[in-house]
Amino acid sequence: MSLKFGILGLLTEESLHGYEVKQRFEAMLGGTWEVNIGQVYSTLQRVERDGFVETVGERGDRGKQAYQLTTEGRRALEEWLAQPEAEPQELRQELFVKLLLIRRLANGNLPSLLLRQRRVYLQRLRDLTELERRIRREGRDDLALLVTGAVLHTEADLKWLDAYIEEAGKLGPYHLQQTQEGNTT
Amino acid sequence: MSDVIALSNVSKVYNGGSQQKALAEVSLTIPAGQLVAIMGPSGSGKSTLLNLIAGLDRPTTGAVRVDGIQVNTLSEAALARFRRTRLGFVFQFFNLLDQLTVLDNVLLPAQLAGTKARTARARARELLDELGIGGVAKNYPSRLSGGQRQRVAIARALINQPAVVLADEPTGALDSRTGEAVMDLLTQINQRGQTVALVTHDARLATAYATRVISLRDGAVVDDTQLTAPAQHAPADLMHVHTGEDA
Repeated sequence: MSLKFGILGLLTEESLHGYEVKQRFEAMLGGTWEVNIGQVYSTLQRVERDGFVETVGERGDRGKQAYQLTTEGRRALEEWLAQPEAEPQELRQELFVKLLLIRRLANGNLPSLLLRQRRVYLQRLRDLTELERRIRREGRDDLALLVTGAVLHTEADLKWLDAYIEEAGKLGPYHLQQTQEGNTT
Repeated sequence: MSDVIALSNVSKVYNGGSQQKALAEVSLTIPAGQLVAIMGPSGSGKSTLLNLIAGLDRPTTGAVRVDGIQVNTLSEAALARFRRTRLGFVFQFFNLLDQLTVLDNVLLPAQLAGTKARTARARARELLDELGIGGVAKNYPSRLSGGQRQRVAIARALINQPAVVLADEPTGALDSRTGEAVMDLLTQINQRGQTVALVTHDARLATAYATRVISLRDGAVVDDTQLTAPAQHAPADLMHVHTGEDA
């Protein structure tokens, strides 16, 4: 989802000025995407130029200007909403690159890094699951779905790491029990 | 706190086949009152570990001590007594006896342990009520839902007030909501002081309920970590939503 269509989507509900757009956008995503107000204004100007939104009324307090969606804007939004996302899978984490490189370098730090990374994922899974439950109790089912997404992605990261460990184990030099840090208890 | 489960240098080799060790030199201790998750893919040795703790199987080498008893040297008769009195089991597929009523399923371990009928009956009733299945005491398991059957199995596991409850994929046959309720019950049991060892391949389940996660792979402990209690995280502390450059 891009900010552009986020703005168009929010304007289907009522006309809003730039700062309201920012606030509602962030509230919708539970604060997980912090929107730069400058970017909101520049995007509003661009979609106005494209004919997707138009200004409503005069500039108010401190130059605030409200915008509303045009018919053209609604058509563009609906088209976007109907499109499945077919972009290639994004693997953003640096870890992917880090692990591939470490394997080439074979510098012996692999087991310890793998274990520490695994613990990060385990703890994150616990924290996210707790967050998911709490948000559900608070009745924010839409936001809970977003957290469910994060939980599932973390599970996938953990599975990928375990697949990597499995591979590394077969290679021998990284025998996973050699680490000193394996046992904390 | 004293250790209620202690394994020292435990190995298990099954005869025939590859001679590959199902467990290799595993040493670990579990203090009384812990809720620990034992995690690993299938074939990692989880079930072997559980069977050794439960005295259902004997280690090839090494020692297993549970609730003060040296399990690996017990006679068959003593083992049977040990399992009845010190351990409670919860299985993935419930393992209830279909020809007995719910109440009789729960009473069976108490009868085998020689508990007075009146005492056992009172305790069974109390447990069934606590677990919210008092109303189906006279029913047969086949008439119950999966969640209800697992509650019956939990009541049966608790009837002899064991020090240790072993749960092997206890939510594996349940839908997620029912599974959550079952895990909440096991958590409550743990909070009352019983040690709970949860075996699962499910990382989400393990981390959500256990404070300690032991990871097995190829018969060895590859990690043993203590998780910290979840703080009251704001969503943004844990996740960021973003896309590529804005169009």
